[in-house]
This record gives sequence, C-alpha cells and structure tokens, in this order.
Amino acid sequence: LKTFDYLVADGLEPALAELADGKATLKAGGIDLVDLMKERVIAPEVVLSIGGIKELSYIREEDDGVHIGCLSTLADIGRSDLLKSKYAVLHAAAADAATPQIRERATVGGNICQRPQCWYFRKREFHCIKKGGATCFALEGENKYNAIFGGGPSYIVHPSNVAPAIVALDGEIVVRSAGEQPKRIKAAEFFVLPETSVYTENILEPGQVVEEIVLPSAPSQSATIELREKQTFDWPLVMASVARLRTGWRVCLGAVAPIPWLSQPAIDVLGNRDVTPELAAAAGEAAAENAEPMTENEYKVQLVKMATKRALLAAAGLETPSWN
Amino acid sequence: VSYRDDNRVALENDAVRLDIVEKVCGTARYTADMYLPEMLWAAYIRSDYGDARLRSSNVAAAEKVEGVLEVVLDKKEGRYHGDRMGHVCAESRQALEDAMAALDLKFAASWPKTRLEEERTEIGDLDPARNDADAQKALDEADIVVEAEFQTQVQTHCCLEPHGAVVHFRGDSAIGYGSTQSNIMFRNQLAEELDLRPDQVEFHCEYVGGGFGSKFSADNEGRLAARLSKKYGRPVRVVCNRKEEQLDTGNRPGSMQYMKLGVGSDGKIRGGKIYTWGSVGAGQGGGVQNPSRYNFGTVAKVHQDVALDAGAPRAMRAPGHPQAMFAIELMMDALAEKVGMDPLEFRLLNETNDVRREMLKVGAEKIGWNQRKPGGASAGPIKRGFGIGVGDWGNGPGRAAVGVNVYRNGTVEVLAGGQDIGMGFRTMVGDVVRTHLGLPRELLVVKVGRGDLPPCPASGGSVTSRATAPRAFNAAEMARQAVLKLVAKEWGLENADGLKMEQGVIRGEDKSIEWKQACRLMMEEQISFTTDQDGDFSKRPTQSQAVQFVEAQVDVETGRVRVKRVVALQNVGLPVNRHTIENQICGAVIQGVSYCLFEDRVINRQTGAMVNPDMNMYKIAGSLDVPEITLIIWREDWDVGVNSLGEPPSVPIAGAIACAVANAIGVQVRSMPLTPDKVLAALSEKEQAT
Repeated sequence: LKTFDYLVADGLEPALAELADGKATLKAGGIDLVDLMKERVIAPEVVLSIGGIKELSYIREEDDGVHIGCLSTLADIGRSDLLKSKYAVLHAAAADAATPQIRERATVGGNICQRPQCWYFRKREFHCIKKGGATCFALEGENKYNAIFGGGPSYIVHPSNVAPAIVALDGEIVVRSAGEQPKRIKAAEFFVLPETSVYTENILEPGQVVEEIVLPSAPSQSATIELREKQTFDWPLVMASVARLRTGWRVCLGAVAPIPWLSQPAIDVLGNRDVTPELAAAAGEAAAENAEPMTENEYKVQLVKMATKRALLAAAGLETPSWN
Repeated sequence: VSYRDDNRVALENDAVRLDIVEKVCGTARYTADMYLPEMLWAAYIRSDYGDARLRSSNVAAAEKVEGVLEVVLDKKEGRYHGDRMGHVCAESRQALEDAMAALDLKFAASWPKTRLEEERTEIGDLDPARNDADAQKALDEADIVVEAEFQTQVQTHCCLEPHGAVVHFRGDSAIGYGSTQSNIMFRNQLAEELDLRPDQVEFHCEYVGGGFGSKFSADNEGRLAARLSKKYGRPVRVVCNRKEEQLDTGNRPGSMQYMKLGVGSDGKIRGGKIYTWGSVGAGQGGGVQNPSRYNFGTVAKVHQDVALDAGAPRAMRAPGHPQAMFAIELMMDALAEKVGMDPLEFRLLNETNDVRREMLKVGAEKIGWNQRKPGGASAGPIKRGFGIGVGDWGNGPGRAAVGVNVYRNGTVEVLAGGQDIGMGFRTMVGDVVRTHLGLPRELLVVKVGRGDLPPCPASGGSVTSRATAPRAFNAAEMARQAVLKLVAKEWGLENADGLKMEQGVIRGEDKSIEWKQACRLMMEEQISFTTDQDGDFSKRPTQSQAVQFVEAQVDVETGRVRVKRVVALQNVGLPVNRHTIENQICGAVIQGVSYCLFEDRVINRQTGAMVNPDMNMYKIAGSLDVPEITLIIWREDWDVGVNSLGEPPSVPIAGAIACAVANAIGVQVRSMPLTPDKVLAALSEKEQAT
C-alpha cells in the first residue's frame, strides 16, 4: 500500500463536508478498495472511512417503499425477513454472494459502486483502457468472463451481485453531496456504459455518496438465479434478476455487460403475463437476442437463456432444475 | 518382541492432531510470522511480462525512497512474468514496496510463447519411439482402435504459507527460519551461502503451511535473505507475497496427450502409441506418467518438454501422475465403450494389480455402480454419472533417525528433525512411540522441524512416514526395554523377559507397576536413545494402492458440474493415526476436485502476464464445492509397515471425475478444467454429430 491519510467520519454530514473537495476516497467495508490499493491500481492520498456510521445501516419499510441504508451489509440483507418474503430477487442476490466473511463486511453501497473485477483492470501489469491506456486487452486476449452486451471501448462486466436485482425492482438510488438536496435517481440510470464514460461505471461525481437504496414497490413475483463455476467465493458467470411489478415483468441480467443489463427484448416478450414454462423459455431466448460474444465467451449466451428462464420459473413458483 | 501384541498403533487411534490447538488458535509460529528486531525487508524485482525487454526504469528514484538500503537491477530481460531481475532491500515493508513502485519499470513484450498447443512439435515432426514398429504391429493386429487427444492445464501449488526465509547472520553463527519440505537442505544451503558450517546454523521450521513439492531448497528467498544478512549483519526477511507465490514458486505443468490404442474383441488392450507434451515454462520437468497402471500391452511412447515464456514447473503432489490418469481413465472408458464392455469389467480385465482389483469390486458396491446408466441416459437436465480412477505409489526404504528421551517423571519426548508440512508428521511419529509404549497423550512431547534434531528425509515422494516410522518404533522399543530392565532389577529378576507392558502398566508374574512409578526407578533425570536403525520394524516394501469412485452431476443446460460423492479406497500399510490419514485422503480428493473443475493458470497471450495471480481469480474449490467423501482405509497390513500416503490418493481423482462427467452427459470433455464453457461445447459438438 502507498501511505495515505486515514480519516474516520462519525456522521454523514461531516463525511460529505470532508468529501466536498473531491480529494478523499470513500471506504465503507473496504473489500473492494483495499485490494485495488494493495495492487496500486489506485493510490489515494486520503481515505475517508464511513464504515462506522451506524445510522447508515438500516432496512426499513416506509410509505414510499423499502429503504436500505448504504452501509447495510450483504449479510444484513440475507438476514432480513422483510426482504426474504417480499423481495426475493434482492435477497437471493445477496444471501449467497462470495463467502460468509465477505458478506458480513461488504456493504450494499460498496457493492453497487465497486470497480470491475476484470483481471486486466485489477492488475497493474495491464495499462488497459479503463486506466487510461489505449486498448481493452479483452479484445484480443482472454475474454471468457467479459461482456456479451454493451461492450466497447471497454468490455468489462459490472461486478455487482445486487445491482441487477435493484434495477429489476425499478429501485432508486439516493445520492448525497455537501450542501445539496438528496437526489433520487432511477437505478437503471445510475449505471453508465463505457461508450459514455470509460473510466467510471456510474454517474457518481467526486464528492457524491450513495446514501440509500429505495425500492418503491414490492413485486408480486421475483427471483434471482446466479450461475457460477464454484459454489463458494466466486463471481457469477451470468445472473438473471426478474421481478413482476404492477406494470409488468422486468428482467435484468448481471455479469454480461458493463452495466446491469435491463433486457428489453425479454421484457417485451413477457409483458405482464403469467409465466408458463413456454413463456419462460421464450423470454430466455429473447434475453439472448443481440448478444455479441467475444472469442471465448459464447457459452454465456446459453447461460443467459437458462438463467432468465429459470429465474422466471422460480419467481412463478414453477419447478426449476436443482441439484439433489 | 512382537509389537503387534501390546501396542495400540492401529485404526482405533482416534487421537486428534497433536498441534491442533496451536494451529486453530494461531499460536503456531510459521516462518512468515517471524518479525525480528532490527529486521530488514527484501524482495526481488520482477518482470511484468513474458519474453520481455526492459524499456525504462528509475533506480535512482527507488534508491531515494527513505529507508532503502540497496536497489540492484542487474538484468534487462525477463524470461517470464515474475522472473527475477534484481532486488531491493529496505528497513521496512513500506519502504520496500514504495521503492518497488518508484522503480517504475516499463517493459515491452510482444506475443510471447504462452500456448502449449501452438508451441509443441507436431507428431509427424517428432522422432518416433524405438519400438514404434512393434506398437504399430499391435495396432494392426487389434480388432478395435481408438484414438483421442487430451489436455490438462497448469496448476499452481497455492501453499497457504508462502515461500520464504528469515535469516540472521551473527558472525560465527546464524539463525534461519524457512518454510520448507527439507530443513536439512535448507539449512545446508544457508550455511553455504553464509560461508558457515551446517552446525553453525540454527535452523527452524517447526510449522510449515504446505509445500506440495514446491519447497525443497533454501530457494531464491533463502539465498537472498542469507546474502543480505551477511552483508548487513541484521536479520533479513524475504517472504513471497501472493502474487510472487503464484508466478515464481513452481507449478504442475500443463500437458497434451495423444493416445492411440488397440484392443482385442476379448477386451484386452494390445498396445499402441502415446505422445505426450509438457509445458515447462522456463525450466524442465514436464513429464507425463502415461502409460501407467493398466496393462496397455506394447506401447511406443514419445514425450516432448515444451518451453513457454512462463514460470517454471516444480514437483507437485505426484508429479506427472494426475494429468496422466485424466487421459488414461477417459481412454479406458472410450475403449470400453467401443468394445461394448462395462468400464468396471474392462478395468478388471486390464488391471495389473491384485489389490486394486479387489478395491475396484468393493468400491463399486459402495458407490452403487449398478445404478450407472449408459452415457447421458439419466432423465432431466441434471444428469448423473459415475467414474473410476486408480493410482498407486512406491515405498522405498529410505533413511532417517529418531530420538526418544524418557524422563524420571514419565514424560516421553520424541525428537525427529523432519518437517511437518501439514500432513501430520508430528502426530504420526509421536503416536508411533506413544502407542508402542501404550501411554496416554498427556505424557508425550514431540519436537520436529529443527536442524539440530536427528535428521529425517526431505518430505517429497511421500517418504517421510515410511522412513521415520520404523526408527520411531525402534527407538521406542529401546526405551521400553530400558524401563523394563529397571523394573526387573527392582523386582530382583534376572532379566526382563517375563515382563509385559500394557496400557502404561508393567506386569510381572504377581506384581505390577505403573509407567510413571517405573520411571522413578531411573538413577538419572532421563534416559535417551537415538537410532537410525530400523531393527525389525522395516517391513516388506510394497505399493500404496488407491482406487476412487466418483458420482458427479452435470447440469446440461448450463454446463455446470458438481462432484456429489467420492468413495476413496486407500491402503496405507500399517495405519497409525486415523485423523491424519483421513486428512491426507480428503485433502487429496478436494485438491483433485479443484484441479479437475476450477484451477487454471491463465496467461495473457499479448504480454505473457498471468492474469489471475491471486486467490480471487485463481479458482480453488471452496467449502460448498467439496463432495461427500467416503473413506475406506484398506485392510491394515502389519507386514508392510507404515506406507506412503501423501501422493497416492491425489493420483486417481481427476480422471474419475472426468469419467463421471462423460457418463452423465454422454460425451467426453477432454480438456481440464471441466468448466461450463467446455461442457457446453462438448455437448454442442455431440449434438451436431448426431
């Protein structure tokens, strides 16, 4: 690690004030940040810890929906009966992520704002396009885990386990900065493609903090299916989060694009219809439309079909294949 | 003296690992835990890429970092990612890391050699084996010929404790700490580097966090620490970080294996040709133990080591064997299918070993082999399959010395200079002595892992137990005789012949005395025996046999594989401690699951840099990936002594899993690791073929 000043905030307002000049780097659980600092992919002069601000950790139901504080951990989500019973799509996405130890540390705010897990981005040996270099190494290199949708000029996949669920739920992200009113932003508009911004994965600007997530309405049916190689401590190959809101189904894919990938073709196929095995399969096929696989990740197309189909079947309470 | 009658060495020894508390509570001190006063930190400057040229560097900036003692950059070219090009020595870890960053090395590399399949010599351009004509004849005469090609990836050792050394040179002596599989080799090489005699180096490796074949010498870390300690007269620490560990401390080489075998309509394999290639990086040792185990008849074998611009291999748990058995077991299944035989029957017919033949029958019953259906025939998207793997390991005689001290208070101290690299050497050697004397654990003290203790072999080739157990028995027997003599004298007997010792009690015709009381008869504080002789405790050499059955599930819609159940049969000769035996077998099975399904050193083809040199992206099986493992410790065999165990159970597992996967989905996946992309590709090829 490069030496840095370590500041500890005891409340959100002081933290926002400290962040106002844009110099400090925010730390919540530290899961993502410390890895990047150890590899010196980033070397902040000042790290501001908000991890100890207890009032930012909550999951509560209010008139306008469920509010989840940015410092709630993935384990908190996993332990929430409210989310388990009414927001299965989010609960499932968090409850089995990574390992128990990581889930106790990793915050929901950190999870949606974490940097990509792309091995070129993560390793200082690769001066890749996301770090100011000229090329995305995935184009000619090893791209088994890279994007099949929305790529270019960078082909990362968005690493968040919970973001697809939040987008599927049409959730909102509340952004704060010093001296300004909270901004509520649709989750689907929070994340940005590399063609818009290659150096970041969302619209946050220096000085801004994600304060909470708001889930405006509970879905009548929802589920997340995550397909991984390993069952413990692994990143998804593909995940599908589906939710049936009053207006109809929303399908959001994870680990296939530089952002949580809202699948309009699948949504169009589904409308607001009851899921049958045939409809689930058709939606799966639609979700894979327009995929642009790279040299080593064509298998993800099939996984998109299956994850989408199975998530819909699970959401509708129909039978899905399972290990026994 | 028959140790069979009055000792407890056997399967019923369920005593836990001797150092369990230290390990679980974190009080065991490993080399990486050594932080000495005034200690300096040093590390190698390393190449970022393969076949790389250094374009620019800033040594002056690195030297200017506060606390830096020296920066030496003496190479301009890096053969592979992680190749050593110089070193930095500094007062602190911070200064060391800052200096490394300040060096600002810029490399150029352009599409180095990273792919075995692209760099190997094709079969037509290789010199044929001397017996090529004989093999061709066998093929010509066979009724059925099958050919196939297999590929295995590079696996890194992933020792939990990294390679490293802490050395303190003090003029006419030195203290060294090293994480090693051979403390004698490590100590001697430190002495050489320091220009001291071995006896002048006090060496410690009381605990070692895994080696798997990669930790035999003082290594690059020990040598650098020694050199710098001698120069500065202060303790110097050189301990690899995880990235260095993944890049430059060895690996199991990758392989390609082409097999063409002929079989008669009677199901007996007649012979054929086998070509193997091993990816050796900047080093040697890519050998593949194919053919082996089964009777393949007349085989012409050609092997080529292929040098890539990548880190060099080292020995890794049964070097050359697991990768060979991956190909061999799949080939056996392919042949069986062509001949129209059940794979179990086909193996029984072509098996070379009687013990394994019996194990195959017992294991088949245990796993439920009769539930096995033809390939891909089980219903639904989650298919079930069964597979078989076999392995074995030799047991040479070996040399070792073990000491036993008996104190007046009854304490028994066992001294053995071997190192406990995690397999439970401390437990095994202690339990041999303790159970031979019939004493409880409370009276036992075991000291291992120091250069001044009686010398034991390097822990490689699974020789440690085999070599040390007979000496431990012998030293224990000497101590036992000495205490019996004291009792005989006390009781006025002419000799100790009529005395028996059971459960810590010595009995004569009409008298008895407890061990502790008997020890009080000693005139001095302790009696002491050290021996390198095995007495009559070294038994008939034999092989350690391993047979494993696997039940796997494959989700054919997603290509995901789960190993559901493993039945592992293992003969260990004379079993000493159940926990450590089970530990070795389960460890081997889990490591094999990990190897077969997940692990892969991925090298970027543009630069030659490893893209996954950490424990996040280099995938190792986690707790939920571990199958249900049923262990069958084969009939205890008193006549063969304590046999090798570290390597044999790691030989069969990858092949058995691959066969189970093929049985589940009806097509073989011939390239490891068996990840969803490859499983789906194999299924898709099968679909197109039909």
